[in-house]
Amino acid sequence: MALLEVENLSIGYNTKGGYLKAVEGVSFALEEGQSLGFVGESGCGKTTIGMALMGLLPSNGSITQGRILFEGEDLLEISEKKMRQIRWGKIAMIFQAAMNALNPVQRVVDQIAEAIMTHSPAVGKRGAIEQVKDLFQIVGIPQERMRDYPHQYSGGMKQRAIIAMALACRPKLIIADEPTTALDVIVQDQILEETKNLQREFNIGMIFISHDISIVADVSHDIGIMYAGQLVEYGAREEVFESPVHPYTKALLSSYPTITGDRSLLQPIPGETPNLIYPPDGCRFCDRCPGAKPGCGEESPVWVDVSPGHKTLCYHC
Amino acid sequence: MELRKYIARRLVQIIVIFFVILTVLFLLFRLAPGDPVSRMVDPDMTPEDSEYLIAQLGLDQPIWVQYIIYIKNFFVGQFGYSFHYGEPVVKIIWDRLPNTILLFTTAIILSALVGVFLGKIASWHKGKKTDAGMTIGALVTHTLFLPWLALIMIWVFGFKLGWFPINGMVSEEVWLDPDSGFVAKALDVIHHMILPLATLFLIHFGAYLLIMRSSMLETLKEDYILTARAKGLEEKVIRDHHAAPNAALPVVTSVGLSLAFSINGGALTETVFTWPGIGRELVFSVSHNDYPLAQASFLLIAIVVLISNLVVDVLYAYLDPRIRY
Ligand SMILES: Nc1ncnc2c1ncn2[C@@H]1O[C@H](COP(=O)(O)OP(=O)(O)OP(=O)(O)O)[C@@H](O)[C@H]1O
Ligand SMILES: [Mg+2]
Repeated sequence: MALLEVENLSIGYNTKGGYLKAVEGVSFALEEGQSLGFVGESGCGKTTIGMALMGLLPSNGSITQGRILFEGEDLLEISEKKMRQIRWGKIAMIFQAAMNALNPVQRVVDQIAEAIMTHSPAVGKRGAIEQVKDLFQIVGIPQERMRDYPHQYSGGMKQRAIIAMALACRPKLIIADEPTTALDVIVQDQILEETKNLQREFNIGMIFISHDISIVADVSHDIGIMYAGQLVEYGAREEVFESPVHPYTKALLSSYPTITGDRSLLQPIPGETPNLIYPPDGCRFCDRCPGAKPGCGEESPVWVDVSPGHKTLCYHC
Repeated sequence: MELRKYIARRLVQIIVIFFVILTVLFLLFRLAPGDPVSRMVDPDMTPEDSEYLIAQLGLDQPIWVQYIIYIKNFFVGQFGYSFHYGEPVVKIIWDRLPNTILLFTTAIILSALVGVFLGKIASWHKGKKTDAGMTIGALVTHTLFLPWLALIMIWVFGFKLGWFPINGMVSEEVWLDPDSGFVAKALDVIHHMILPLATLFLIHFGAYLLIMRSSMLETLKEDYILTARAKGLEEKVIRDHHAAPNAALPVVTSVGLSLAFSINGGALTETVFTWPGIGRELVFSVSHNDYPLAQASFLLIAIVVLISNLVVDVLYAYLDPRIRY
């Protein structure tokens, strides 16, 4: 049984302009201790998927169809109380806005200890603080900084504290939503490297979310490329990088210099992402696709297997 | 440790500011057009008494000598005699000040506590009936005209129902009776205090409720609230433990302001309820040209404003580590 199986998940938001279909028909699976990366342009629905997994969609958001099976149990069916136990106890999340993710008026140690005590009350305050000490050791923050307040930390330290907090309850799954975008490149690399090691060491399933394909490439076993609320290509990292099939994946790869290693090939993708309130018929990438054929704009594409485990949402690839 | 350093720094600032105020007040009263002697010395005094007072205040000396005498007098608590009462100004102030502090501090703290509590609940039920009811209630009571409300209270509860005394702070029967103990006296004061207290409470709690409500709604949008939810905390814990302490910060400022202005601002309430406080005395002294009393009252207001400021700063620093470190 996979740790996480998401089937045909669709999510939308009520907005002034109408119902915005942020995620449509997304399916993927994650084995225990494996990592999965989602890549796509801003607004393609990455955070929305993460929030849905945590059961933390904002009040105007709703899941219109699909299942989220976590350890065989559908998270959309269970009670709020059960979901609270799963949050952080089993699934932790590193939020996109990690810089403000800590409460400014509480000591960092107390905030992490709170997570521990919420999920294992038997540990007690003192036991929880001992555990926080170990966690600080693991993520490399000096222990004498434990009793500091968040504003006394640098950005990198805050990020490490958040990672410590994410590890606190030994979760089965950590969702890392742009975990390093606010940091400079050096710190970003360090933290990614450490995260990758921790993930292996503790055998944690991990979902990495980023608009930067090079970050995801570093840390994930499998990769899902998202475009306008849909997955368009999905497969093992090597497959997707070495033999991309979907035109959007190809465009993404050529727009990041770190992958190709050659800046002269860097080219932005022309055109704009489609309106998600009234999404176009047929393939959503059609307008921007260099290889579009007649009919692409009318008929919805279906999943095509490229090789075992590697598939794409495109008729003509 | 850090907190102590912070307080020390604020204290020094406040002392400096106070000296500035002291000096400005001196200049205002001495350099204003007209004869300073007639402002500082009671025109009804005997010539000998007024000579003595002129010498004591140094009104016949050059201005800088007067200033030194003025500062010295401040430190020995010599503020002269009230024209009207013929008593030392200090005594009048010491008599009235505790009454004002008792009434207003109680009223403001009570309304802040209730306001914060209700505001928190209202924000949690945003858009629902509870919220609408509380918000409308707060708006209505907050915009009531204080003298009108005070008179209604006196009329209904004091006059019609006869539950509470309608003026003063003590009943002579109780306080002159040698047999009444402390408890009886305290109860008597409380009995007198309830109407003005309830009036002030009704006027004030709404503002705190509204501040707390909107502050909570802002705070609930913060990222750390999302983190708290993601940690699997119960909503009640998120509200009370993560949102409320952050949201209550603006209320602290507002409480400080109310306390600072309770002396002059409270004159109306004190007058309607004939509460023997300092606000009434201030209004009286100004309208009767009782300069010594007015001067001392102004100084007192300055002191109260500065102290309230200090209290707010310290409280704020205690509640918000970002300020203290
Ligand atoms: N609370 C909300 N209300 C309405 N629309 C929303 C809300 N949150 C997100 N959206 C919309 O849903 C779509 C997907 O948003 P989401 O935040 O999931 O994108 P993302 O892939 O995480 O983007 P980014 O890389 O910028 O973080 C976007 O079109 C966005 O405008
Ligand atoms: Mg996002």
